[in-house]
Amino acid sequence: MTERFIHEVRVERPPAAEDAAAARARLAERFPRAALRRMTHLGMLVGAAADGIALGPDDAIVYATSYGETRALEDYLASFPAASPLLFQTSIHPSAVQQVLIGRQQPVARLWPLAGRARLVEQALLAAVLEPAPRVWLTGGEERGTWLLERGVASDRAFAFGLLLAADGDGAAGRLAARPASGPDEPGPTLASFADALAARAPLAWTGGGARWSVEWR
Amino acid sequence: MPDPLVARLKTMIVETLKLPDVRAEDIPEDEPLFGNTRLGLDSLDALELVLRLEKEFGIKIGNSEESRRALASVSTLAAFIRARQPAAS
Amino acid sequence: MTANADAAAAGVEALDCLTPFGDAAATAAALLAGRRALAPHPVLGPDGGDPVPLALIGGAMDEPVTPRWLAPARELARRIPAGDWGSAREPVVVTSSNFGVGAMHAFTRDRDARHLAHGTPFAAAARLGRELGWGEHVHVLSHACVTAHLGLALAGRLLHRGFANRVLVFSFDFVSPFVAAGFHSLKILNAAMPAPFAARDSGSIGLGDGAAFAVLAAAPAPLRLEAAALHNEMHHFTSNRPDGAGFTACAVAMAAAARGRRVWIKGHGTGTLEAGRLEAEAWRQAFPDAPLVSWKGSLGHTLGSCGLVELAVAAAALRAGRIPGTVGGEAPSFTANVALGPLAAAGFDAAVLSANAFGGAHASFILAHD
Repeated sequence: MTERFIHEVRVERPPAAEDAAAARARLAERFPRAALRRMTHLGMLVGAAADGIALGPDDAIVYATSYGETRALEDYLASFPAASPLLFQTSIHPSAVQQVLIGRQQPVARLWPLAGRARLVEQALLAAVLEPAPRVWLTGGEERGTWLLERGVASDRAFAFGLLLAADGDGAAGRLAARPASGPDEPGPTLASFADALAARAPLAWTGGGARWSVEWR
Repeated sequence: MPDPLVARLKTMIVETLKLPDVRAEDIPEDEPLFGNTRLGLDSLDALELVLRLEKEFGIKIGNSEESRRALASVSTLAAFIRARQPAAS
Repeated sequence: MTANADAAAAGVEALDCLTPFGDAAATAAALLAGRRALAPHPVLGPDGGDPVPLALIGGAMDEPVTPRWLAPARELARRIPAGDWGSAREPVVVTSSNFGVGAMHAFTRDRDARHLAHGTPFAAAARLGRELGWGEHVHVLSHACVTAHLGLALAGRLLHRGFANRVLVFSFDFVSPFVAAGFHSLKILNAAMPAPFAARDSGSIGLGDGAAFAVLAAAPAPLRLEAAALHNEMHHFTSNRPDGAGFTACAVAMAAAARGRRVWIKGHGTGTLEAGRLEAEAWRQAFPDAPLVSWKGSLGHTLGSCGLVELAVAAAALRAGRIPGTVGGEAPSFTANVALGPLAAAGFDAAVLSANAFGGAHASFILAHD
C-alpha cells in the first residue's frame, strides 16, 4: 500500500459571478501588489488555496487543471494580429501555480503540471504518492470562461483546492491511500467534485489503474 | 517646459501596464524604468509597452536586446522614438 | 541549491522521432551534415507577418480542421512496438507544450467550430488516443519546454514503484500562428537564424515541429535513462536568476550522478543570449571536460517535445558513432566547452541531456549506453 497523510486542506469556491477583478479586490491583501495586477482568476484562487502554506526548495507540487488559463487564452486570441506578449505568457500551462510561486520568489524541487480530464484526479494523486519529496502540495482548479464556455471548451465554475501531503501521519487531518486492486476501473471524482469533497471532508473511494484509491478523514 | 512626448509616454505606461497606484507625473524620466523596485515593472511589462509603442508610433523594435536599450528610461525611450519617428511629439 | 536526482534507471525498449528531416536516423545524419531545417516563414502563417525561422513538417503552418499534427503522429506511431497502450499496466504519458492550441486561433479566423474539438490539451490527447487505439490510462503533462523530460521522469517512477510494466511516452509540438506570434511578441523569435551559445549582440530562436516516442521498462537495456534531476527557480516567467543558480542546481546533480564517466552534454541552447550564457557557464563549471552541443540551430526549438525528440536523435547518433555538433552555432561561443563540430561517440560513456523552460524550470537526465 502507498499512503500519504493530509496535513492541510484549502478550498476556494467563490461566488458564481466572481470574475478576476472582483477576486483581485477580495484577495488584494494576500498577494504582493506587484504580482497582483497581472494575476488571473485561476492564479488568485490557487494562490488563496496556498495562503499560509510555506513551501520550500525541497518540496514538490502537483498541479491539475483541465482548462488552465481560459481568460488569458480568450484575451490573447482577441489581441491578434498584434499578439500580446503578456497574455501569451500568461496563457501557457502551468501559469497559475507559477504566478503564485514567482510572486513569492519561491523555488521548488519539482512541479508536475497535469492537464488531462477523464482520470485527472487519480493521476494527480498518483503523481503525488510517487513523489519522494518530504512534502507535496497537491493543488488544482479552474476558472470560468466566457466565449470559450459558450462553445463548450471551458469550465463553467471557478474553484481551486490545495492539500499538503506528507509521509508523517502525526497530527494529520486525513489520509490518501492506494492499495493494489484488481477489477475494472470505476469512474473517479472529477476535479470539481474532488474540490467539493475536500471542502466537505467527505470520504472518497474508487478503483482505478490497478489500485483502490481512498481519501479518509480523521 | 515639459516635453509633450515624455508626458505622453508616461501616460501610456500607466494606461498600458494598468498601474493603479502610479500617477503619470510621478514616473521619473531618467531612472531605470524596469527592475525599478518603486515602479515594480519587469521585462514582460517592457514587452507589453513595446507592443503599444509599435502601434502608436509605427516603429519597430527588432529583438529583446534592442527593447532593453530603448526602454532603459523614459528619456532614452523618447530619444529612441524621435530618432525613428521625428514627427513624434 | 542542488536538485536531487531520481536514481532509478529505466530501460529504453524503443525510441524514435519525426522532424522535417525524417526519423531519428535521418535527422542525426542531416545534423552531422550541418543542414538546417529552419527557413524563413511568415510569423502568422497564411495571414503573413514578419519572416521568422521555422522548421515545419509539411512546409506550411496552416491549421486545417483535421489538425496537421495528426498525420505525422500516425506515421510515427507505426514504429511504436505493439502493446496494450493506455491500459493500467501499460499507460501512456503524452507530453506537449501546446497540444492543439493552434486550433483555437484557427477558430477565431474561420469560425469553424470543429477546430475546438481538439483545442485543449486533454481533447488533443484524446483525439490522438482514439486515432492510435489507446485505452483510458493516458497521463497528460504540460510544462512548456521541460515537458518531455517530466514525462520520462514520471514514466520512470511509474515503473519503479510497480504501477506499470511498460510506459509509452509520446511527445509532440507543432508550430502554429498562435505559438509563433507569441514568441515573436516576446522579441525572441526574430528574423535572425539562431546561433546557440554564440556570443552575439542579439539573440533569436527558431521554432520547429517535432514528435517522438519512447517505450520504457524497468528492466535494464542497452540504452538507459538514469538520474533525472529537476528544479524550478520560480524567479520570473521569462528570465532566469542572474546568478545562474537554477542552471547550476541540475548541473551539479548531474555531475554527481555521472562521476567517473566521460560525458558529452546535449544542452538546451535555443539561441537566446542570457539563458544561453548562463547555461553554457553552468555546464562548463560542473563538467569542465565535457563538450556541449545544441541542435536547435537546425531543428528549431520543438518546445514541449524537445526533450524526447533530441533524446531520439542522440540515440541515433550514438548508433552511427558520431555526435552532431552545434549546427548553426558560430565562434566565439560563450564558453570554450561549446562544440561547433561533430564528435566521435567512441570517446564517451554517457550523455547528459538537458532542457529549460519558462518559469525557470530545469530538467536533465543521463543517457547511459552499453
